[in-house]
This record gives sequence, structure tokens and C-alpha cells, in this order.
Amino acid sequence: MTTARPRIALYTLVVLSAVISFLPIVWLILTSLKTSTGIYAWPPQYLPQPFTLENYINIITNTPELLLYVVNSFIVGIGCTAASLALGGLAGYALSRLRIRGARVMMVAILAVTMFPPVSLLPSLFQTFLELGLLNTYTGLIIAHTGLFLPFTVWMLASYFATLPAEIEEAARMDGMGFFRIFRSIVIPLSWPGFVATGLIVFIFSWNEFPLALVLMTQNSMRTAPVGISLYPGEYAFPWETISTATVIAIIPILVITAIFQKQIVGGLTAGAGK
Amino acid sequence: MTGTTSTLDRRMQWTGIGFVAPTVLVIAAILVYPILQSIVLSFGDSSIDGSEPYRFVGLAHYSQLIHTGRFWNALGVTLTFTAITIPCELLVGIGLALLMNESFRGKGIARLAVLFPWALPTALNALMWRWMYNSDYGLFNALALQSGLADRPINWLGDQTLAMISMSIVAIWKTSSFMALIILAGLQSIPRELYEAGRMDGMSRWQEFRQITLPLLKAPILVALIVRSMDALRTFELPFNLTDGGPVTATESLSLYAYKVIFDFIEFNFGAALVVVQFLVIFAMSLVYIFLLRNRD
Repeated sequence: MTTARPRIALYTLVVLSAVISFLPIVWLILTSLKTSTGIYAWPPQYLPQPFTLENYINIITNTPELLLYVVNSFIVGIGCTAASLALGGLAGYALSRLRIRGARVMMVAILAVTMFPPVSLLPSLFQTFLELGLLNTYTGLIIAHTGLFLPFTVWMLASYFATLPAEIEEAARMDGMGFFRIFRSIVIPLSWPGFVATGLIVFIFSWNEFPLALVLMTQNSMRTAPVGISLYPGEYAFPWETISTATVIAIIPILVITAIFQKQIVGGLTAGAGK
Repeated sequence: MTGTTSTLDRRMQWTGIGFVAPTVLVIAAILVYPILQSIVLSFGDSSIDGSEPYRFVGLAHYSQLIHTGRFWNALGVTLTFTAITIPCELLVGIGLALLMNESFRGKGIARLAVLFPWALPTALNALMWRWMYNSDYGLFNALALQSGLADRPINWLGDQTLAMISMSIVAIWKTSSFMALIILAGLQSIPRELYEAGRMDGMSRWQEFRQITLPLLKAPILVALIVRSMDALRTFELPFNLTDGGPVTATESLSLYAYKVIFDFIEFNFGAALVVVQFLVIFAMSLVYIFLLRNRD
């Protein structure tokens, strides 16, 4: 690898991969910065002529529901992440540390249920949520997403707890600390990197989840970003200037989170899949 | 001494059960109960709002299923889509992982480039590509026509065969990165000494890859294949937003067909039979992979 030619080939491949990776989002951002005439022009405009923020201003003034979808996604995402970490943390701790009988079987069972296709849950979930009045509520979708992503959370956190030294907890137990206090005041502070990585991934999962959010939120004002934007076009016309702009707005939070926490996310994903 | 140990054990046991119980309850309510109810629904007739009482009809919906061409089409679409995308994702994934395993400047941006497609919402990604594939105003046709590669607009999503290929490209673009990350983690755990030993033996880079790298990557590759195959078999929002299953039903996956049967045609119980069959397909696929994993040891 000291000769020049392999280096050039390497950099060419790296640049090519990066271009292919970012091309769709760059094209979408460029589209959102064009005027309506520019979007549908021939010959095509590769760069906006002129650059305009018209589409963004239009969304804020004319179709604020598109921003509401993003707010809904945040509420559901944060709620689901908090609930998953709280429940999954306790369960993961018990399964990796408290030597319960059947812990291994339970771990495998928890993994096995992730095999269910989300669409197979829809008939029953829709019916149950209708009966319980949970359709079109944040609580309802938060519970549904928590159930969907708890298996992943439990596995991630359990494997993180397994890397902690057991001596500290044993010493705490000698001092007469209860299990819940040990978990709260010793285990959680020691494992926050695990919680951060897991929480970020669960938030992204919830933000991106489609089938359950589609079926359990039937009111326009309650829809999450992916569903609201997908259903926005209506039956006939497809207003690409609005769609591209709304999509950019809905993707930015994910892009920012991914860019800032890429190391934690990659670490979490590979640890989770390595099991 | 044994007395205190067993008290501690018992306390640990009960505390542990208490800690696990909320998670088990939520998973049971959201994942296990619905699939069991879908099985029950598939053997009977009922209404979605519970206004009609449940009536057992045995295998009626399943025999209807066998005689429904659109079901076989959806099964074929799903299997074709899986068969196209998984091998391509694996190849691209291995390539990307080998690339990321080299040292070069700008690694941070390269890693973000790999991670970014994974993090995108599939539904919005499908819209993004639908815009690029647009036959009148899309980027691809603009490039194809202006460069002279095509003399008239290509109907990327309007032709039956081309639509399947176009849809597969979107999936490969989005998910190869996941394969790459898993395989990269596997690559980084291979001890360097093995390669040094290989070099002593005068191995070429290709031989190194075949005889050292690939055998040690078998486990992470299988894990990535399982996860990705299950995802491909239940693909839903990609055709939902890219093609709506069209043209006609050329890209209508099992999930999309089941969704339409349940919520557009309001054939609740027939839809339940569909999702049960889909579940069985995924289950069968997992058994194959588990068998492959077992054989490894």
C-alpha cells in the first residue's frame, strides 16, 4: 500500500461511495431550494436558479400541519425512548445479572418475537386500540413502539451490563443496598454510554417506523412525519416543491443525530448484531 | 451460611422477576397477543369494530388464499425482491467494509456516508427516489437524456420489470450500509498476526481474503443475512411510497397486499390469513439460517 496507484484507487472508491450515498439527499435539498418553475424546467436546473427559501416559507405560513408531524414524531420518539430505556434497563439488568432461572430461554424468546412482521400485528392492534380508545393518542403509539423496540433495547443493555465488573455491585450488596437502589445509583451511572447508544438507535427506529404509525394514527393532526408526508400528496397531484421541502425538514433531525453520535450508533449497532 | 445464600438467591429471583415483568407484559401485549389473535381471526369471520360476533369458518380463508392469483403474485414479488437484494447487498456490504477497514484521511465523513442511508426513514427515502426516478422531471432522466444515453424518457417505475429493478436498487442503496457495518466489526476483530503469518507464507491478497478473512467473517455475515432477509420479506413502506405496488401489481409485496386487503378492502379475516402465511414464510427462512448457523459449530 505504499505505492501511489493503490492509494489513488482507494480514494477514488471512497469518494465514489460518498457521492452515491449523499446524492439523493443533496438532490432533494437542491429541489427544495428551487422555485416551482425551476423544479419543472427543461433543460433541467442542476443548481437552483435563483436560490429561494420560498418553499420553506410557504410551509410555515400555508401548511403548518407539516411541521406538526415533526413535533408528533418528537413526542412519540422521546416517549418511546424513555419508556424503552426504563423498562428495558430493568429487564436487561435482571436477565444479565440477577441469575433468574430461565434467563437464557427468556432472552431467546424475546429475540424470536422480533421475527413477527409488523403488518401481522395490525388487524389485532387496530381493533384493540379502537376498543381501548388508544387510536390517535400519543400514549397509544408510544406503547406500540415501546413494545416493538423493547426486544432490541433489552438485548443491547443486557450485553452492556455484562461488561461491568461485578465486584462493585457485590460490595454494595454487602452494605445492605437493595437491588433497585444498586441499579439506580450504581449500575445506571456506570452504564450511561450503553444507555446513550441504545436510546439514540431506539429514537431513530421510532422516528422511522411506518406501518404502526400509519394505522394507529388515523387523524391527520396526530400523524408522525414519515406517515404525514407520505399521505400528504392526496389522490391526484404530487406537489414536489412541498414534498421535497417537508422531507428535508423531517430528515434533518435524523441527519444531525447521526452525524454527532456516529461512533456511539455504530458501536451500538455492531454490538447488538454481534450476539 | 447456606441458609443466607438461599434467602439471597430467592430474593434475587423475585426481584429479577419483578424487574422483567413490565417488559414481558408490554411485549406480550404488543407483539405476542396480536399475532395469536391474527391466527384466531384467520379461522373465522368477524367485523373490525366488533359489531358482528366471531364465527368459526375453519380453513375457508386459507383455501380462498390458495385460489387468489394476487396472493401468489405478492409472494412471488416478495421472494424475487429478496432474492435480488440480499446477494447484492452482501457484495456491496463486503466491498464497503473492506474499504472502511483501510486507513485513509476523511474517515469520519466516509463513516457518516455509510451510516446515513441506514438512518433515513425508509418511507421518506422511497419518496426521495421516486422523485429522482420521475420520468418527466427526475434527475436520472435529465442525466440520461442530456448525456445522450437515452433518446426518450425512461419509465423507471412504469414498466413491470424495470419497476422491480428500480425498487431493488433503492433497497440495496439503503441497506448495504448495515451489512457493511456488521461485517466491518467482524473484520476489525480478526487478529493482525494471522495476516502476518499469511504474508510469511507468501499469500497473495486474494488468497489472504479467501483463506483468512472470509472464513472468519462467516458468523457476522450470517447474522447480517438473517436480519436483512427478514426485513426484505416484510418490506412494506418502500413499495407503498415508491410505486404503490404498481404498475398493476408488479411490485406489490406480501405486506403491502395484506395491508390493502385489511384496510382498503376491509376484508379483515382474509387479511389475517395472509399475515399468518407471511409469518410462516419468515419463520421457515429463519429456520434455514438457524440450521446454517448450527452447522458452523
